[in-house]
Amino acid sequence: MVNLTINGKQVAVEKDATIYDAAKACGIKIPILCHDKKLHPFGGCRMCLVEVEQMKGRLIPACTTPVTEGMIVQTTTDEIVKARKLVLELLLLKHPIDCPVCDAAGDCDLQNLTYEYKVNMNRFVDEKFNHEIDYENPLIERDMNRCIHCGKCARICDEIVSYGAYTFINRGIEAKMGTEFDGPLNCEFCGSCVSVCPVGALNSRPFKFKARWWALQKTKSVCSYCGTGCQLTLGSKDGKVLTTIYDENQGFHNGQLCTRGRFGYQFVNSDKRLTTPLVRKNGKLQEATWEEALAEVTSRLSAGKSDPASVAALATPRLTNEELFLLEKVFRGTIGTDNIDHSAGFAHEALTKGAVASFGVAASPSEIADIQKSNLLLVVKSDAYETHPVIGFEINLGVKRKGVAIRIVSDKKGKLTRLPGAKTTVHTPGSEVALFNALCKSVIDQGLVAEGVAGLDALKAAVADATAEKAGVTAEEIAAVAKDYATAEKALIILPIGLGYPGHNAALASAAANLAILTGKIGKEGSGLLIMGEKNNSQGAVDMGIYPKGTGLAASAIIDGCANGNVKTLFVAGENPVVSYPNRKKVEKALENVEFMVVADLFLTETAALADVVLPACSFAEKNGTFTSLGRRVQNVRKAIPAVGLAKTDFEILNALSQALGGARYNNQGEVFTEIAATVPAYKGLSQAGLKDEGAVYPVAVAAKLVPVQAKTAAPAAGKLAMVTGSALYHCGTMSRFGEGPMYVCPDAYAELNVADASALKIAEGDQVTVTSATGAVQVAAKVGKRVPQGVVFSPYHFGEGSVNTITDGAEVTYVTVAKK
Amino acid sequence: MSNAPAEEIPAEEIDLTEANEVIDKYLTLPGNLMPVLQGIQEAYGYVPKPTIDLVAERLNVYPSQIYGVLTFYAQFHLKPRGRFIIRVCVGTACHVQGAERITETFFGRLGIGHAETTADLRYTFEKVACLGACGMAPLAMVNDDTFGKMTVQKVDEIIETYNARPMK
Ligand code: SF4
Ligand code: SF4
Ligand code: SF4
Ligand code: FES
Ligand code: FES
Repeated sequence: MVNLTINGKQVAVEKDATIYDAAKACGIKIPILCHDKKLHPFGGCRMCLVEVEQMKGRLIPACTTPVTEGMIVQTTTDEIVKARKLVLELLLLKHPIDCPVCDAAGDCDLQNLTYEYKVNMNRFVDEKFNHEIDYENPLIERDMNRCIHCGKCARICDEIVSYGAYTFINRGIEAKMGTEFDGPLNCEFCGSCVSVCPVGALNSRPFKFKARWWALQKTKSVCSYCGTGCQLTLGSKDGKVLTTIYDENQGFHNGQLCTRGRFGYQFVNSDKRLTTPLVRKNGKLQEATWEEALAEVTSRLSAGKSDPASVAALATPRLTNEELFLLEKVFRGTIGTDNIDHSAGFAHEALTKGAVASFGVAASPSEIADIQKSNLLLVVKSDAYETHPVIGFEINLGVKRKGVAIRIVSDKKGKLTRLPGAKTTVHTPGSEVALFNALCKSVIDQGLVAEGVAGLDALKAAVADATAEKAGVTAEEIAAVAKDYATAEKALIILPIGLGYPGHNAALASAAANLAILTGKIGKEGSGLLIMGEKNNSQGAVDMGIYPKGTGLAASAIIDGCANGNVKTLFVAGENPVVSYPNRKKVEKALENVEFMVVADLFLTETAALADVVLPACSFAEKNGTFTSLGRRVQNVRKAIPAVGLAKTDFEILNALSQALGGARYNNQGEVFTEIAATVPAYKGLSQAGLKDEGAVYPVAVAAKLVPVQAKTAAPAAGKLAMVTGSALYHCGTMSRFGEGPMYVCPDAYAELNVADASALKIAEGDQVTVTSATGAVQVAAKVGKRVPQGVVFSPYHFGEGSVNTITDGAEVTYVTVAKK
Repeated sequence: MSNAPAEEIPAEEIDLTEANEVIDKYLTLPGNLMPVLQGIQEAYGYVPKPTIDLVAERLNVYPSQIYGVLTFYAQFHLKPRGRFIIRVCVGTACHVQGAERITETFFGRLGIGHAETTADLRYTFEKVACLGACGMAPLAMVNDDTFGKMTVQKVDEIIETYNARPMK
């Protein structure tokens, strides 16, 4: 600790603190413009000048000067105030006074400081800049006339996002913040740069002219897209969510969000929202009252009570824990059916089965915080970045700031593969399990097994013939990855799963777990396995028991049941199987065949359009409750706006049904959480009030055990390309299609090909192509690049038009032909 | 003022072999960005856009940063330059001796303005500040040749002379 005096106050701080940090720690405010706690110090704006007695004669910047023992600092002498005024006057020399039309007004550091320092005249005059304003993309407006050259946008885009869209271009008076060739912005559109810009140079276009900043009502909540569980602050007015507000003190991610969290909130206020219940009459869905709709659903479900096996429920892991718990109670408890799933049959087997088998818990044994505490990250699939972008930021920071090594095993290259020191092993599609088995064998062969690992013989036998070649990589590559991983002191495996990854199942979770257990990388900080569930509450859905237990049908079996008549009544809460489950035609036929289907959703989705009763449900912004992130953090979701139209929360819908069916009745969703805390062991002792703003990570007791698994390798099909499916950076599930932001930048399905394959097939970027598999054909636009290896096609699954599940059937790899339309 | 529009960079197909060779040479050296860009400029006479993308990919540097470096140093050129670089001094001494009329004459004769290149890539014209030979004002240079006491007539002579020179 270092002791110093600031404005007469004694302060003791860590030795790597700056004067700014020290002042902040004791509640003294030093104004800053170019500094941000998340970024490397820059010292460019001179707003934070202070006086240090030991360095008499000049003013020094507080944000870059480290503290030293016995320092005596003054932060507001007359001279300092004069200097700061000068800085402001110089900034205002070029800066236009267009505050009345600037969206940052009220939230602009320059404006606020000008006011605070009473800079009401300027001794200098000069011609203002006249840079053209960049309106070319629909999300971020760039007005470089207002830029004060603090460099924060360039620094955050480089240091945290690792995209590097900006740099200072030109020099001297001509210098400005620009992009490559001074062209329009074309990037990830995460909005990080907008969030840190201290003035109105970078603005969110969707928010433009929607409201003055100070008129917004601010509600802290949790993003409802992916399983990362980023906290966000919703800015709302007149019952509408108008923007997300940046709060650098919020969450493990310091307020950072990805494009979905930042620019994808518009689905809440979409005019496509369902506002009234619909009931099918004469073959058509028609508006109805809640009484009518619920009466119909109740009568079908009570009839089902005498034949519970004929009733099934599919729920989206986007509902709150309370809603999922209640759903489980109604269907498993009151009606008595075990046919409940949350698309687990397709995607969450890794969590529910693999993790239980290997760790004894249906959750990640590690937390998000382990990423930056590790020595080596072994990332499965490069698009862990795309499924969970803010986890991607954590990875970037770990690698670039903390020197964490990174190894990637993937069927294609991606953004993570460009990180400094990253080594990527590109394997053949669908061979992940074979690859992990080969890694285990290599660890054994190289004598790198940790001491006292039980069950080694069975694993040895199981991986005896696991060769690198089976995964399409060389023995040297496997040996190197195995050695790097095994010899790292702490190593963390990162495994994304979701509907787009049919091969990421129980076997893969166990195969990965085996490697961790074999090398002793489990049960300690910075080590273990992070199983990244796709949706915001994937983990909560597992915790609440939304999967078949005993003889119940899993999601795919429920679809089959609908097709063969065994399932007569299907309740769908927010799922959209038509677009997201494999084999669209089969799913459609099955759902058309089921006697009675009710869908509760925000939108008339492709699935809801086939229902007999459609119930308008509330979005996350219209309700209270909790979500559990992939790192087991249970967090409060808070209501920001009243329900849209006649929509009801899934809690209200299920509560009404529960009561009508003779089950439990709750006064509010909070009562359900109390019951969860009393009955779900991991949630023991939690209360919604106690979660406060930070939430709570529930503990797990890991009982690790080697579980040998057999690798299935897909036989390559001659003359065909291997299609793998997954997630696109800007999207999550099928809901982001209703967010304007993601749709502006990534509106359509596509198939991504290697340049060599594309040129052989005479396909150019943007061409319409037909992708044909044994299951069907689909038309999409082609994307051409070097990310996917030769012989492989990648396609994201989110889209209704050109949906890839028309041609997939649940196999890890789908063999296809691609031809120009 | 800094309102210069972004330079229009034409899309072009170029042979990247030489650029790759330059990169190969410096690939493993630390701080290799400057020598690589200089080498490329030497090989192509300027830094063509496709080479920027190549450098970005092979050295794993953001293209934006390369562009920042290229626009910071006056030595780099992002557009093809002429075989003959005509520089006319507009420093104080040359200015009072009528440099303006000389530049205007060049503009008229060549059909290009400051920092522009003729379509046949024969000439690039640049106004520059003091060339350090004020005694000979007004002053013009073509590549390394100096022409003092410039007159409108001399402009025509210069153009005639260099029109007759071979392009390579
Ligand atoms: S939106 Fe994100 S990726 Fe794009 S420039 Fe800003 S920080 Fe960089
Ligand atoms: S655009 Fe904003 S964040 Fe970027 S340098 Fe200018 S003022 Fe700073
Ligand atoms: S989508 Fe995921 S990563 Fe992006 S802001 Fe939301 S929770 Fe965070
Ligand atoms: S905040 Fe310290 S120099 Fe900008
Ligand atoms: S002013 Fe022209 S050479 Fe000096």
